[in-house]
Amino acid sequence: MGSPVKKIMLCSSEKEIFSVEEQVMVQHSVIINNMIEDGSYNHEESKIPLDCVDSKTLKKVIDYCTHHTHHHNDNQEDLEAWDAQFLNVDSNGLYDLLMAANYLEIRNLLDLIYGTIKNMIKGKKIDEIRRIFNIKDHGFTPEEEEQNRKEYPHFY
Amino acid sequence: MEKKQKSIDDILPLDLIHRILLRVPAKHLARLRCVSKLWYSLISDPQFAELHFHNSPAATNATIFIDHINRTVAYFVYLEALFSDDIDTSPVKVVPPPFKKKKPPTDFEFLGSCRGFVLLHRDPHFLVVWNPLTGYSKRISYSRIASRCVYKDISLPCKFYLYGFGYDASQDDYVVVVAWQDKDYHYHLDYLSLRTNSWINLDAAFSKPSGVFDINSCGLFLNGAIHWLPHSPKTFRDAILIFDLKERTFSRISGPEQPVMSAFSYSNLALLGGCLALYYRNDFSHNTHIWVMKEYKVHSSWTLHEIPCKVYQLFCLSSDGDIIVRGYDEVEVEVGYFIYNVRRDLLTHFEDLFYSFRITDTVYTESLLPFPSDIKDKDKKKKMKKKRKENSVMQW
Repeated sequence: MGSPVKKIMLCSSEKEIFSVEEQVMVQHSVIINNMIEDGSYNHEESKIPLDCVDSKTLKKVIDYCTHHTHHHNDNQEDLEAWDAQFLNVDSNGLYDLLMAANYLEIRNLLDLIYGTIKNMIKGKKIDEIRRIFNIKDHGFTPEEEEQNRKEYPHFY
Repeated sequence: MEKKQKSIDDILPLDLIHRILLRVPAKHLARLRCVSKLWYSLISDPQFAELHFHNSPAATNATIFIDHINRTVAYFVYLEALFSDDIDTSPVKVVPPPFKKKKPPTDFEFLGSCRGFVLLHRDPHFLVVWNPLTGYSKRISYSRIASRCVYKDISLPCKFYLYGFGYDASQDDYVVVVAWQDKDYHYHLDYLSLRTNSWINLDAAFSKPSGVFDINSCGLFLNGAIHWLPHSPKTFRDAILIFDLKERTFSRISGPEQPVMSAFSYSNLALLGGCLALYYRNDFSHNTHIWVMKEYKVHSSWTLHEIPCKVYQLFCLSSDGDIIVRGYDEVEVEVGYFIYNVRRDLLTHFEDLFYSFRITDTVYTESLLPFPSDIKDKDKKKKMKKKRKENSVMQW
């Protein structure tokens, strides 16, 4: 059956270790690809510490990379449906994913999340956007806020 | 669960919010400024506007024109929205032009656009620069030229030999260039700096260009220079006339080696995905040749696309790299807006809502770019310094 699949170890902020196919992460994460290429990752001893990514998020990121590695030949519709289901998380979950994808430089996941957030903003009124992104303290003085509401009533 | 939700501004680093906002089309950004002070300062930064204009994948291209019956409103047709199912973006927007309601002009016309600014003529002899998205506008007279011109009752764009609107990055200045003929039939070239409000005579740089140039030739701005092409070039060698706004000099480049050039062809220039494109239609075979100069001023980079309709005007590339045009489809016998995937065929078309005798529409890309502050020549330097500071807070 050929040589066994090469694995790498990823360590979440809770120090939980995840073992992932090397190829899966190399294909998707620019950072991990660089670490493997320049030899800074030692397969016997190294774990890649991801101090700003919690276990729950890391598991999702690995899911994403694994699915897109093994199913990249699926038709576009199936992949999009899978992505939509994958991003069906609350806004905190989405921000966590965004930060993890940014940290690991997973470009197609970044594009997917940016697109999702862009769609959350599109066509929405200011009050709605503030609710969606939970912006309670908008930072405008009451005078500025009133001025804006007066000047652009259709935005609110 | 709900209670634990934190604000996006507290969670995401500035850099990521910045990158999200870069992806939002410019027209939504005016609204998003009001979401929070943080978003306001990110969006209002002139560097953000510059970055957004050049790099955003969400560039919004529109064509603008005036309804010739009701001449008091401007129509914006959002080209990509014509072909998408996106219900949030209405493909057509009606906008009142930037004139005082008490004294609307009896006549106005769109002359061109550059970096989100539209250049208009309004009677009697005014040029108006307008950013429809930010609402900024500025008016300058050209009556000095009009009074000396060979033609009576002259108004742009008619009766001007060549004209163009562009941006000189070296001076952070928007400029208008006009070539015209005086009462003794001498040709002149004048250069309007919109920042200093001054007309500069550049006759020395100009001699009547050879080749068949038609009166009323609007130039195309690209890479710091304005480009003109005769409607019926006799030869493609040195066919394109270029005026460099920084150097203030003319030069020429050749068009592509032309395969068949019928007398009925009507050549024009357009911008396609940031590249110079030259197109002409063939009235016999009912198709249009679109040549794209993939690398600026590299002759061997001219690349041909053929489109099975008569293109009246080539507009732009969609975000998927498809070509959007207004034209006439011989098979469907329809005049309208068309989108072509150049690797395959027609994707879809849209009926022309405003069919009239328009020759060209102005193509315009939305931007939030601020207009450089007005500067009087004498205290230019002093104000330059001040302006840099002021620019950190953008005027809307």
